[in-house]
Amino acid sequence: MFASILIWLMVAWGALACVYMLYCAWSRFPKRDVNADDVIPFLYPVDISLAESLLDPAAEFECRWKLGPPQFREVQRKRMRLFLELTRRMAHNSKVLVEYADAEKNREDPRRAIAASNLQEKAIEVRLYALLTGVKLRFWLLLRAEILNAMPALAHLRTAGQIDGLQTYTALKVAAAAAFVELPPDELDSLTRNL
Amino acid sequence: MIFLTYIPLGLLTILLWILVRRGAYKAVPCFFAYIAFAVTADAARFVVHTHSDAYYRTYWITEAAYDVLGILVMYEVLRMVLGTLTRAWWARLIFPAVLISSLGISLARANLVPSRLGGILLYIVIGEIAVRFVQVFVFAGLVTLAPIIGVRWRQYPFGIATGFGLYATVALLTTTKFSDFGTRFKILWGVTSLVAYSVAVLIWIWFFSVPQKVETPKFESSAPSPGELKQYKDALRRMR
Repeated sequence: MFASILIWLMVAWGALACVYMLYCAWSRFPKRDVNADDVIPFLYPVDISLAESLLDPAAEFECRWKLGPPQFREVQRKRMRLFLELTRRMAHNSKVLVEYADAEKNREDPRRAIAASNLQEKAIEVRLYALLTGVKLRFWLLLRAEILNAMPALAHLRTAGQIDGLQTYTALKVAAAAAFVELPPDELDSLTRNL
Repeated sequence: MIFLTYIPLGLLTILLWILVRRGAYKAVPCFFAYIAFAVTADAARFVVHTHSDAYYRTYWITEAAYDVLGILVMYEVLRMVLGTLTRAWWARLIFPAVLISSLGISLARANLVPSRLGGILLYIVIGEIAVRFVQVFVFAGLVTLAPIIGVRWRQYPFGIATGFGLYATVALLTTTKFSDFGTRFKILWGVTSLVAYSVAVLIWIWFFSVPQKVETPKFESSAPSPGELKQYKDALRRMR
């Protein structure tokens, strides 16, 4: 019985994937080729120093020390929502950069193609990190994890799936600077500010 | 009817020609080997189709080889996709986990639906169904992952996974229904499998008809100009 259910679940999953692919083919794989002009205005600034402070175990310990349990719970939930917003922005920026890198990878210039490939690799790592962290944070916020256990520590979210989020995001910024090196200085400046 | 059975052979020959023209044996060697083998196997089956004993042996030997090559191709697809995703240790466990789960489901199915086959032929069929499960796992997993990660679909590994995924889903569906309806379903099963396989080959032809840029190794690229380096350093300084 269990095997039968599993087999039908697999067939249904495969069939759904086929339907999705048909939809993609029907809509002609809608992702367009983007250039630098389609990237910079679409980026959301991510305050890395704020993320660092949210993930700092010492800062968290200080909050726990100074505040009473109900106040700490309230503050910790705010900190979680703030970090969730930062990971959302990281994921969004990475998606924009993945699309750009996809278009750039087909360039004739091998240096640009390599820079784009490196950018895409970092962007995908950031998206994976944001996905894993986002799931964890939403789970904590939704189930009000503090009721079941002690308030979860944000410092544990520095790495997810063996990916150090902030380190990878910084590497993504470096990769973006390398990929956009041919931009005029003012545009490069706004890129670095927006990331 | 016999000639209809060999429609995929014609399509596979076209695909093999496209793969050779695109130099795809460098990018996807296992898939290239799979297609080259498929052309040879189908041609061999066609040659011996009037001699039942020779056909029987050829059929089962080539089926066993298809099982092994099918697994290798799926490993290649997953390695290519995950290689760009993450270097984390757990990424290396995905394929063995998929393989063991598929084998487990296939064995459970064999237990659930007793086969008339015995000995090595039974193991070949169990292996074949396990390979179909691996193909559905990889395809459906990639389809689920691609929109989340934001990767573009028009790439060789995704094309290979799509073709195999479609065929494997239809094959699993028809095989399951075949076990429910018995031999009355035989003709429909044969036609459905034939159409699904032909569509899978058409999907591969479509994906491989567009050239994909093979990434140039890093050592072949020339050094950036001093101006570019200065700009890059400025950008990094502004980030700090």
